[in-house]
Amino acid sequence: MTNIKDSKCRQIRAWLHTAVSSRLGSEAGWLQGHVASCPRCRRRLASWGRVNLALSSIKAQPHRLDLLMRANTQAICVLKHSLREAPKAQVLKSILPQPKPLEKYGRYGHSIVNFAACATILILMKVGVFSSMDSFQTQGQKAIKQYYGRQIGQDLADEVFPA
Amino acid sequence: MFGKAVSYGLLWDVAVSDSVAESQRWVLSAMQKHGPELVTVLWRILGNEQDVCDAYQDTFLQLAHFEGGQKPDHVKAYIFRVASNVAISMLRRRMAEKSRLSRPASPVETVSSPVKELDSKYLQEALRRYIAQLPEHLRNVVTLRDLGEMSYAQVGRILGISSATARVYRCKAVQLLAVWMSEEQP
Repeated sequence: MTNIKDSKCRQIRAWLHTAVSSRLGSEAGWLQGHVASCPRCRRRLASWGRVNLALSSIKAQPHRLDLLMRANTQAICVLKHSLREAPKAQVLKSILPQPKPLEKYGRYGHSIVNFAACATILILMKVGVFSSMDSFQTQGQKAIKQYYGRQIGQDLADEVFPA
Repeated sequence: MFGKAVSYGLLWDVAVSDSVAESQRWVLSAMQKHGPELVTVLWRILGNEQDVCDAYQDTFLQLAHFEGGQKPDHVKAYIFRVASNVAISMLRRRMAEKSRLSRPASPVETVSSPVKELDSKYLQEALRRYIAQLPEHLRNVVTLRDLGEMSYAQVGRILGISSATARVYRCKAVQLLAVWMSEEQP
């Protein structure tokens, strides 16, 4: 019970954060309006921007591809002899960084979505959604024919809606 | 008799060292599992490949000798905390060395050609310097959240705090960094 409550609290906190960010984030119109006329806030916002720029610049700087391999080799050198000789150690000495699965398969995203859509349509066809829709249509036509039959007479209704 | 005792002693030593090595295989597993992420974080803190290798080596050496070769309860948390501390110590040492060397001459840098490139390098160095000056609890959050690109939940788990606290610490850290960086700006 407490776990369910906690997870709900967590969800609400996340939603609140998103909602508040969209209204109180640096892109919010009222904030931009104020910043345009307040030099103190403008300075503060500029310095935050500077921190973000520096962080992005640090994150964007690449290192050499063999850095992991070199770091592993250097670290393994100071471990116990039997660990140094272990088969896993040999693998680690020649390992290269692998992209995360999301990055690796990200380019196949559209194909996967298309395939999923096709599969969903096939399943829907299989479970008879389309046949149900067809029967809905027939029932609807019958109801309209009955209505017109009552209102303008069965003969005319039969002419307008032939069987 | 004595020869036999010596050979039994050697056999015992070999057996003990083998069992220790066997029980420490988790160090290699930890290296395989967390190594790539750790290298990225260290690279972002230090910005120098040889320093990254040294900090990485120190981290795994400390891990292998943790309480006489025992496995910590939370290996990832231990690795990242140790690595962050080692890297920051190295960074501080490097900064002290740099300021000691540049004190006598103190040349005024004239930025001429690729202004943008130099500015970006200057910004990176300034940020690294200020991150090293942050109080430990704030610095750990910035390191893991911004340089390690971990979620607040992960940061909280590693540092043993709640994700809300991590969020507050991060906010305070960015405020401090912003103030310091704006003070430095001419």
